[in-house]
Amino acid sequence: MALLALDGIGKCYRQGEIEVQALQDINLQVEAGEFAALVGPSGSGKTTLLNIIGGLDSPTAGCARLNDTDITQLNDRALANFRLFQLGFIFQAYNLVPVLSALENVELIMVLQGRSADERRERARHYLSLVGLEDIMHRRPSALSGGQQQRVAVARALAAGPRLVLADEPTANLDSENATALLDIMHRLSHEEQTTFIFSTHDPRVMERAERIITLRDGRIVSDQERELPHEAEL
Amino acid sequence: MNRTAAAQPLPHRGRIALSLLLQLAWRNLWRHRRRTLITLCSIAVGFGLAVISIGLGDGSHNSMIRNAIRMGEGHLTVQPSDYLAAPANHKFLGDGNALTQQLAELKITGNVDPRIALQVLASTAHNAVGASLQGMDMRTDQRLPILQPRLAQGAWLKPEDERGILIGAGMASKLKARVGSKIVLMAGKQGGDSQAQLGRVRGIFNSGMAELDDFLVLSNLGFARHFLTGEGADPTRAPLTRFAIFLDDPDQLPRWKTTLSTAVTGEGTAVLDWQEMMPQLVQFIVVDDAGNYIFLTLILIMVGFGIINTVLMSVLERTREFGLLRALGLSRVHLLLLVFCESLLLSILAVAAGWLIGGLAHLWFAHNGIDLSAVMSEGTQIMGTFIDPVVYTELSWARIGQLTVIIFLTTLASGIYPAIKAARVTPVEALRT
Repeated sequence: MALLALDGIGKCYRQGEIEVQALQDINLQVEAGEFAALVGPSGSGKTTLLNIIGGLDSPTAGCARLNDTDITQLNDRALANFRLFQLGFIFQAYNLVPVLSALENVELIMVLQGRSADERRERARHYLSLVGLEDIMHRRPSALSGGQQQRVAVARALAAGPRLVLADEPTANLDSENATALLDIMHRLSHEEQTTFIFSTHDPRVMERAERIITLRDGRIVSDQERELPHEAEL
Repeated sequence: MNRTAAAQPLPHRGRIALSLLLQLAWRNLWRHRRRTLITLCSIAVGFGLAVISIGLGDGSHNSMIRNAIRMGEGHLTVQPSDYLAAPANHKFLGDGNALTQQLAELKITGNVDPRIALQVLASTAHNAVGASLQGMDMRTDQRLPILQPRLAQGAWLKPEDERGILIGAGMASKLKARVGSKIVLMAGKQGGDSQAQLGRVRGIFNSGMAELDDFLVLSNLGFARHFLTGEGADPTRAPLTRFAIFLDDPDQLPRWKTTLSTAVTGEGTAVLDWQEMMPQLVQFIVVDDAGNYIFLTLILIMVGFGIINTVLMSVLERTREFGLLRALGLSRVHLLLLVFCESLLLSILAVAAGWLIGGLAHLWFAHNGIDLSAVMSEGTQIMGTFIDPVVYTELSWARIGQLTVIIFLTTLASGIYPAIKAARVTPVEALRT
């Protein structure tokens, strides 16, 4: 059974009198452990699709099953609970809670999950060291560079132990060096942690590292290509 | 690489620790240090003003009450039961000796003043005016410390002086009486007759209160008792019209009232507290308090808008952050609690800062007082009593608790709307901002 199964997903917005079809008849299956990119031009529906997969938005047609749970049927509270335990998010910008240190940001979701203080502290330190931030884990976001902030977001997403990490344009605000470094980290951890990544992008650097590229145009999937990539050790 | 996803029931979220919410709220509060400090200052100054205003109100009221009790009939009064409804000279306590004995056995912690109060007509060759003859014990009466220093002319009455009287400056003026003048005091008797006593003016006092200066005639008990004898009282049983009881601890009033009522209330005798004796004063204080509460309400509105402004601005500028938190798994209740905690902390700080400013101001004014004599050009008399020209702020523990709770709840309530606003954030819309 696929980790994620989208069946006939459609999303229609109303903007005044005009009806905008953001997504149409999206059918997609993603297996556990995949490192997949949603690509396409601006307005193609990438973010909308990620929002629906993440339970942040609801479709107007179809159903989305994650880990055999139809998330389109969950109420607000159940969705919040679902996101907490099953999903990790990495956003384009403003990823972190400004008043918390890097370590506290990574711990935050685990606090909500009810993990013990010792466990969450240990996991937070572990994942921050995996993304290379063990020396600056007590700094607040304002004292971190954009690349470092995104790495904290990756650590936060993974430390909570999600089945699926959704990343919306994670490298859009990063320079080339930081973007490459972040992608390498995400790719490596995806394999090490056996965590599924789906990220939207129109950044060619990101596409290069994706094992599967799903192309959206005008709210439809126009191509879905898989390819073998060498593991990070071989790069 | 692939991992087969098995359907698993979702674990339940852990209960978010209040300490985490408070920690987040505290840090959020100080994101805009200057804004928070300005808000706190405005609340604290408003609260301080309320404390001073209420403290001055309570201080002046208490001053009035204390003076009314001292100048009037004490904390408790024992008098004929039908006297209050229809005062008359023939209503008296016939056996003063027995009642004095009874009261002495109760060992009241305070003073018990025997008194005779009569309505008389005071006349000289020049004029006649209505007067209140107050027969009092010139050694122990509680009015002495107030009136004696206000003696303007002549000498104070000696305890053994059976013919001497003291009158106020207003009455002296109307009767054209001086020290040494003779004044005829005439009183109606039950049945229609009248009786008269001749008093000689030993001194003239000037209390500053027209009600006293124009109306009061002071004498020893023996002089006033002649009128009771004329009404048929037995002078050997020391008849009186009332006992004024002054308690050392006014807080013990309810207990002593009950004790006295049980001990001395019999046929024709009643025990009344000062509120029953001076209902007009009580009414005045209630009305004046209402004015203070209106002022307090205005302060509370100011405080409320201050809090709403700070917290709401803080919420509106964090819409995207709230969207992020919701996306990460915080529920609406968590966000509501988070913003509510910010209001809670702001409330606690506001109350603390308010008490710091208001408390210090209160301590200063409680010690040094405010001299209101300049603004009270028409004198300090109100409702038959007077306010000391220097008013000291007074705050009881009950008042402190009341003010704290009111300000605290107001500030807390002001945070409800921003908290609801935050809880309504939908992640996808918030993250678009």
